[in-house]
Amino acid sequence: MGRTCCKSCGSESLTRDEVSGSLLCANCGSIIELETFEAHIGGINDPTGTYVLVGTSGTGSILPPKEKKIFEAHKLIEDLSFKLGLSRFTSDEVSDMIVRITEGEYGMGAWFSVLVGACACIVMRRDKKSLSVAQAAAVVGCDDRELGRMITRVVDFLELKKNGEFPIYNIVTVFDQAVRDFSGFRRLSKDKIMMLNKQGMFLIQCAVKWFITTGRRPMPVVVALLVFLAELNEIDIKIEDVAGEFHATVSTSKRRYKELLEALIDASRALPWGKDVTLKNIKKNAPFVIQYMEMKSMLKVKGQNSETFDLDDVIKECLRTISDYQLDERVVGVSNSQYFEIEHRSESDWPSVNDMNISHECLSLIYTKFLEEKGYNTPSKDKRNVSGTKKMMGVDLHTCSEWWKGISDLSKKLMLEEILEKDVGLDPMPPSFTRGLLANERRRERINAAKKRISRIMSPDSVGIELVSKFHTENEARPKKRRRNKGEVVDWEDFIIEALLLHQVKEEEIEKGHYNTLLDLYVFSSV
Amino acid sequence: MADHAMEGSEPIDLSRHPSGIVPTLQNIVATVNLDCPLDLKAIALQARNAEYNPKRFAAVIMRIREPKTTALIFASGKMVCTGAKSETQSKLAARKYARIIQKLNFPAKFKDFKIQNIVGSCDVKFPIRLEGLAYSHGAFSSYEPELFPGLIYRMKQPKIVLLIFVSGKIVITGAKVREETYTAFENIYPVLTEFRKIQQ
Repeated sequence: MGRTCCKSCGSESLTRDEVSGSLLCANCGSIIELETFEAHIGGINDPTGTYVLVGTSGTGSILPPKEKKIFEAHKLIEDLSFKLGLSRFTSDEVSDMIVRITEGEYGMGAWFSVLVGACACIVMRRDKKSLSVAQAAAVVGCDDRELGRMITRVVDFLELKKNGEFPIYNIVTVFDQAVRDFSGFRRLSKDKIMMLNKQGMFLIQCAVKWFITTGRRPMPVVVALLVFLAELNEIDIKIEDVAGEFHATVSTSKRRYKELLEALIDASRALPWGKDVTLKNIKKNAPFVIQYMEMKSMLKVKGQNSETFDLDDVIKECLRTISDYQLDERVVGVSNSQYFEIEHRSESDWPSVNDMNISHECLSLIYTKFLEEKGYNTPSKDKRNVSGTKKMMGVDLHTCSEWWKGISDLSKKLMLEEILEKDVGLDPMPPSFTRGLLANERRRERINAAKKRISRIMSPDSVGIELVSKFHTENEARPKKRRRNKGEVVDWEDFIIEALLLHQVKEEEIEKGHYNTLLDLYVFSSV
Repeated sequence: MADHAMEGSEPIDLSRHPSGIVPTLQNIVATVNLDCPLDLKAIALQARNAEYNPKRFAAVIMRIREPKTTALIFASGKMVCTGAKSETQSKLAARKYARIIQKLNFPAKFKDFKIQNIVGSCDVKFPIRLEGLAYSHGAFSSYEPELFPGLIYRMKQPKIVLLIFVSGKIVITGAKVREETYTAFENIYPVLTEFRKIQQ
């Protein structure tokens, strides 16, 4: 930088005139022109300016980029851990896992949040706790599948499966955690929550046995069960709220709830009044059904030891609790009293027991009497009026803690083999399998019908006439409405089946229903 | 090859298929090199059965009716043929696509035809306890009901992936030859019977 000096005398001694503010030469007094001004731009010897870091608030950051990235990553881990409700210890474990994966580099951006969510899910599963993918994805703000892919990558990268650090998914653990975390149960006492947990544990393990959970998203099943438990214990919650809390789809949760009720209805068939149990009254009958299931699951163990097991004993045992209340014949009525004499029946009487029907009035009376015996305050004032429908609606389930014993092993966490060994009086097939069987059956019927049509056309004189007459008599026997719908209506599927049959395709192949493949291979094949 | 396609109409060879079940091939993916650079825009303009949207995908998508297949034709001259139900059909379809390209005045050849993947499916006709299978074959299987309803079984020998569903339906993928599909199924069948739900 050139130094400022006087142009006329060359002196470097300059002063500022206080009046005009101009720069004057102290030697000759001439005014120093402004053109001598040199802007301080660039150059190595320029004065240092103030360091301003763009993009930070406050006083700015003095951290180098890498440290800043790590600092931000830690902050994100802490933030997500807090939102996911992880403990300090778990949060540290998540951090450790991320250090192992990224070799201490951490990371920035959306992918890093997904990684934190994935590590949180893995650490929770490793510690035999539960954090659902849906919940983690909602907190992280990504898609379930994106998080799922990241979980798979982390598990593979760290080889957690080989080391046994990634146990297989267990819905019982998920349910256990859900009962503890569920906001609807928070106001309940500890004992009550423990009881609910045991009841739920029993039912979820039954659901595992009944294939309600296998191959299905677990959270809707958990939601359905929580709602059912709440209803059973008179806690007022809505399925929509519970589904929202656990990030489950409402419609699927409702479907699972219905499936659960239907399974309980099927289980109730073993009870003498089982035929009368429907979707409408299953909730009122549920205590009996669950009690029956509980006792049966315990008797199975007994049976294993003594190598004898009698279904009748289970029902008798179950009903003894009812008859122990010594129902007043005046209240119950002579006509209904037969239902409570099962203990005295012989083996040969059992088929008739199954044929028995018990009215809802009678069930109601049992409740009323039971509640009176136990000294509960029931809403019914006049026991003679109990048989009315309105009074029936008023019967509550205060007795839930009485019917529930919780002594069955199924109320504790069991291994899958142990769950499958238990007998709860119902052992259905998976719904998808049943649907598959029905579809096969339907296709088999269509194949047979197609064969009849073909033979009718190919030989109209002999077999054809016989078949036609048979077909017509069959049709005549059917009601009118059905004939119009199902009679001679031939749709696209029938035409395909006919074409395949005519191309000598095996019936077993057609029954599988892979029409496109078969058409390509046998009908439209020029090879 | 031709007899493979008609296997379904013949009695099952129990020495080859001890389970008595023959997986049905549902899709075959093959690649071939036409060995000449292609002007995709020209192909898309001249061929009626072709679609080309360079913004979406950098290949011409061409379809033929018989065998009912779809081909992805790239500017480099490489082609992927999908949707065939047998190896013969796949090769025939690839030849037909190559012929179409030749007719459009490109010096297309038919080089390095290779089947890359065979997808098959079958039904064992009994329900399967996926949880049990996942537990005892943890090293090979992945069962995450939160993400996918089936169990993913990665078989080492042959290197095949099987998707096993609770309904008893099985999808077998990753084979280069159909024998691999059959072997994989015959290997897994005894395992599946261990975890079958017995009908009562």
